[in-house]
Order: sequence, then C-alpha cells, then structure tokens
Amino acid sequence: MRRLFLGCLATSIAAAVLSVPALAADTIKIGLVNETTGPNAEAGVYTVNGARLALEEINKAGGILGKQVELLLEDNQSTNPGTVLAYSKLAGEGVPAVIGPIRSTQTQAISPSVAKAGIPTMFGGTDPSLTHTGNPWLFRCRPNDSFSSLVIADFGVNTLKLKKWAIVHSTDAFGTGGMNALVQALKAYDITPVLVQGYTNNSQDFTPIVLAIKKAGADVIGSYMTNSPDVGIFAKQLRQLGLTTTWIGSPSVITETARNLAGPGLYGVYGIADFTPGASPEAKAYADKYKAKYNLEADVYSSWAYDAMNILARAINQAKGTNPEAIRKAILATCGYKGVEGAYCFDENGDGLSGYNIVRNDNGQIAFIKHINNPKK
Amino acid sequence: MEALANNLQVLFQGLALGSIYALVALGFVLIIRATNVVNFAQGDFAMLGGYAMILFTVGMPGNPELHIPGFAVHVPYGVAILLAAVVMAIIGLAFNYGVYYPLRNRSFLPVLISTLGASIFLQNTVLALFNPQPRPLDKLFNIDGVTIGGVFLDSQYLVILVFTILAVAFQYFFFEHTLIGKKLQATSQDKDMARLLGIPVTLMIIITFVYSAVLGGLAGMLVAPILFVSIGMGSTIALKAFAATIIGGFGDVAGAIVGGIIIGVIESFAAYYISVPYKDAYAFLALFLVLLFRPQGIFGEKVSEKA
Repeated sequence: MRRLFLGCLATSIAAAVLSVPALAADTIKIGLVNETTGPNAEAGVYTVNGARLALEEINKAGGILGKQVELLLEDNQSTNPGTVLAYSKLAGEGVPAVIGPIRSTQTQAISPSVAKAGIPTMFGGTDPSLTHTGNPWLFRCRPNDSFSSLVIADFGVNTLKLKKWAIVHSTDAFGTGGMNALVQALKAYDITPVLVQGYTNNSQDFTPIVLAIKKAGADVIGSYMTNSPDVGIFAKQLRQLGLTTTWIGSPSVITETARNLAGPGLYGVYGIADFTPGASPEAKAYADKYKAKYNLEADVYSSWAYDAMNILARAINQAKGTNPEAIRKAILATCGYKGVEGAYCFDENGDGLSGYNIVRNDNGQIAFIKHINNPKK
Repeated sequence: MEALANNLQVLFQGLALGSIYALVALGFVLIIRATNVVNFAQGDFAMLGGYAMILFTVGMPGNPELHIPGFAVHVPYGVAILLAAVVMAIIGLAFNYGVYYPLRNRSFLPVLISTLGASIFLQNTVLALFNPQPRPLDKLFNIDGVTIGGVFLDSQYLVILVFTILAVAFQYFFFEHTLIGKKLQATSQDKDMARLLGIPVTLMIIITFVYSAVLGGLAGMLVAPILFVSIGMGSTIALKAFAATIIGGFGDVAGAIVGGIIIGVIESFAAYYISVPYKDAYAFLALFLVLLFRPQGIFGEKVSEKA
C-alpha cells in the first residue's frame, strides 16, 4: 500500500514537473468539441484518436509556426445543448480554431455561436444546408449528402454504362430526399427511371418490389434504404427470385450490420462511402498507422478529425499567424490537399470534399473500386 | 405463364406471413378468453423467442456498463429451440405473476396498461442485454428453398406453414379432447362457475400465459431467419395479429387463424397490384370494413357475452 502510494506520488510529481514547462512554453491550442460521454461516446473516442494521431505527427514535424500544438478537449455529452456549452467554453479560452462535431444536428446548434465567436470551425455533419446559412466560419471535412446521388448516377451511367434504372427507397425523409435527388441526377443524363418504388420502414416482404423490378426490366437498382433489416430482407429476396441486377446503394447497403444480416445476398453490391482504407495511398497509410497505434480499424469518425487537424495546421502555417480571418482565407484557399478522406478543394461555402468512394461487397469484404470527384450535376 | 407464377409467388408470401400473424393472434385469443384482457406484450413474446434462439446459438455480448457478463453457448439448432421454449415458458410464468396476477381482481384497464408497461420493459431489458444491432439467425433446414415452376418456395416459409397447421390441429385436439383443455374452456367462459365446480382457476390462467408465451416465442423463432432478430420485430407483427383477432372475431380461435391469413394475403396482393408503401393501409382497411359491417368479426357471435 505504502509503495503504491509513493508510486502514485512520484508519478504525479513527475507529471506535474513535466507538464509545467509544456504549459509555460508558448504553444498553440486547438479546441475539440467531442462526444466523450453520452450515447455516442464510442464514436467520440475514435474522433479523439484521429485528432491525436495528426497532432503527434504535426508536433514531430516541428509544430505550427514553430510552436508545439496542444488539443483542448471539451465534452458535449452527445447533446446539442452540451455542444453549445462546450463550444462557448473553448471560444472563451481564445483558441484560434476549433474542430467541431460530426453530427449535423450538433453543428446546426452551434452555428450561431460559431458566427459570434468568429473563429474557423471544422465539422463533419453531412446535411448540405449547414454550409449554406451564410456563416463564413464553418468548414466541412466530409462530402455532404447532396453528392451521394450524383455519385451513384455518375458511377452507374458513366462507369457501368447502365441506363435502365429502378430506384428503391424508404418513404421516410432520408429515403424520399435521396430518391428525389437521384431522379434529378439521372435527368442530367436524360434518363427517366423505369421504376421508382417506395416502401415503409420495417416492411416484412419485398416480393412485390422484386417482381416489379423484374417486370420493368431494369438493369441497375439505385437504393436509399434506411434500416439494415430492410436491406437484408430485400437483398435475400432479390437473389431468391433469381435477379442478379446490378445494385448501387447509399451507405446503408455496405454497413457491417447489413452485410452480416444479408450474407451472400449483398455480394457484388456497390455502395458509396466516404472514408475507405483502400481508396488512396494516404488512406492506406493512415489506416496502418491508426491500427499500429490503437489496435483498432480506422473509420470515418477518426479519419475526418485527422484531416481537419492537418488542414488547420497547414492553414495556420500559411496564414503566418493566428488571426482568424487570415486562417479562414487560408482554409478556403486549400485546394489539392490529399487527405485521408480524399483530395480537398474548398468551395466558397466551406465544403472541402465533393466526391465519394465507390466500394463493392466482395464476398463480405469491402473492396475499393474508384473515387468519384465532382460528379456531373 | 409468368403472370401466373408471379401471382402464385405473391400468394405464397401472403400465406406465409399470414401464418405468422395467425400464430401471434392465437396467443392473443387464448389470453383474451382466459382473462378478458388484450395482452399488448404478445408481440414481444415473439421478439423474446427470437433473442432466446440467438442466446443459445450465438450467445450474447453482455453489457460492461451494467456489469452484465457475456454469455456464449452453442447448442444444436433443435436443442436451442427446446431451450428457448423452456425460457419462454418461464417468461410466461413470470408474466402471469408479475403482470397479471397482482391486478387480477381489478377491471380491464389496469391490466391492459400493465401489459403495455411489460412490453416497454421487455424491449428495453433486451436492449440492455444485447446491443441494438439486428441479428441474423440460420434457417431450420440448411437449404434456402426450392423453385417450382418459377415460384420460389422459401424453406423457412414452408416450415412456418406446416407448423401453423400442426399448431392449429394440436390446439383443437387439446381444447376439445383433453380434460385440461375442457377445464381451460370452462375457465374462460365463466371463472366463478368454474371455481364452484372445483376447477383451479388460477392454475388454468397460469397455463394459459405459459402456453401463449411459448406459442408467441415459437412464432418469433420461426420468423427470425426471414425478418431477423431485432428489438422491434414483435411490434409490427403484433399490430397485424391484433387486427387479425378482430377480423376473425374477438376471442375466437378459428377466427384468429382465418383473420391472420386474410390480412397476410390482402397486404401481399395489395402491395403487388396497387401500392407497396400503402400495403399496411389495405390490411387496416379490411379491419375497418369488418368493424363497420360485421363488428363481431367473421366468426364472432352476435350475442354479447357479458351484457
């Protein structure tokens, strides 16, 4: 017991001694609003992992403006009010930039605070409208949802050369929105789908939809399905009734749960994804480093934070100071930076990415097929 | 020719889903007859049956936050069904004592609310024990199905149809040709009279709950390979099964079976010929029409039992 106590004491003294110079020295602090507690705490761990990995590399390479970089974490308890409080606290500490939430709803909640604070804030929510509210301080490090339908149409029509489209969608807000966007995207190629078929979530039987696809003679299915069990039942029944139609789906068709439920039913199906380990040398290197450091598979919750940290470091270096306006301009000027999510080129709204990866389910494993950037509108 | 095959396919799916509704509806009816109460947790018995199968075939991950340890046993499929049925029987017993028995002398409403509470409790308990991800379950037979004349017959759906026929036959034999079945019938018709005649009413009601839980659980186990095992799997089925109970005649055994099949077939054909998103609406439109023109249901008697 005594030895343990002495050990603790020694450790804490050592920690205090070691941390004092770090604090005393002139460092640059970047804020991170994170889900450390609450229902999304698991994802929050990954986000911190990604940001820390970037931080380590930046510091090893000499830091920002010749100074070492620190991360200031604030927990948002996975809630909107928590996010607002955490953001205000960070802004009050005078950080030059913040990495915000990955959730659209939390991003929306802090948008007024971000505008008031006037400091560049990176975020990962994918609701397209978040960058269109006239707030000049928000920068997105993931492709927004408006690109998903464009990428599905582009891949089906230009790469696979398929023209007879059947669209299967959930009738909820996500599915209907996706269906409308896909119909619009196909219009650019003068294609009218041969079938647009909705269903309510938790349908127990997709036989009528499968028969309708068969009757319509579709050669490709584009889907916006919400729940994994629906994806699983549809996939199984499609194959049971003998259809081998090409299928390109929104991310729900390639989630681990859906693959687990459907088994061979989803083999050969294409899906869109933002972070994919095999998508680029940068993504692969990142996945390897992440695995080596944390013994976990890298996913989107960590990859976007890794990119956000690196983009901020680059921008502050280019701005040659921590003046928010100068950093903002430097972020907006970022074009061609190869992040792990893809090549960033910020538009005037603050959207950094404009494409998705196409992946395929090869016998249950996710295989990278191609990256589609700036799909035809 | 293809049109015929398609129609047969739609009919087959409708019959199979209808059988599932019928099995759950059967559980509804037995409890209605024994206690005059609708058991809103009947669909959750199906959900529990599905999770019991997962428990014995794959195990559960546990929940470190609540200090619930993981559990991993892998027994053969047939043994898993037996164990799951035993679990369901225990749940039925606990349900009787925890949800019904304390309120047995109260009116209809408190018991109804009590079953509703039990439904929420059961779903959240399972959520804490297992994680929210839906799970797949293997089929009873190791073949996906057969295609005959362009119609795909899913092996699990065939199992469901056969089981439903067996369950109905068993139920008929049990209620009409065994002493205990007759005692159960007497209990459901008039509890006070049954008690005067020396029938152990409390025991009869326990048997009813146990039997309904096992039957609901079996419905869940049978349907799990097709609809997967998830927290909400019972709710959708129970809603249709409840409609089936009313269409068939409130509290009528034959009515529950026929009502279930009718709903399954109507929604299947309505989805094929009219509209997929509104297929539920047609099932409930049928319910609406029955209530309007034959409120006692297809097999219901016009004389009200407890006027």
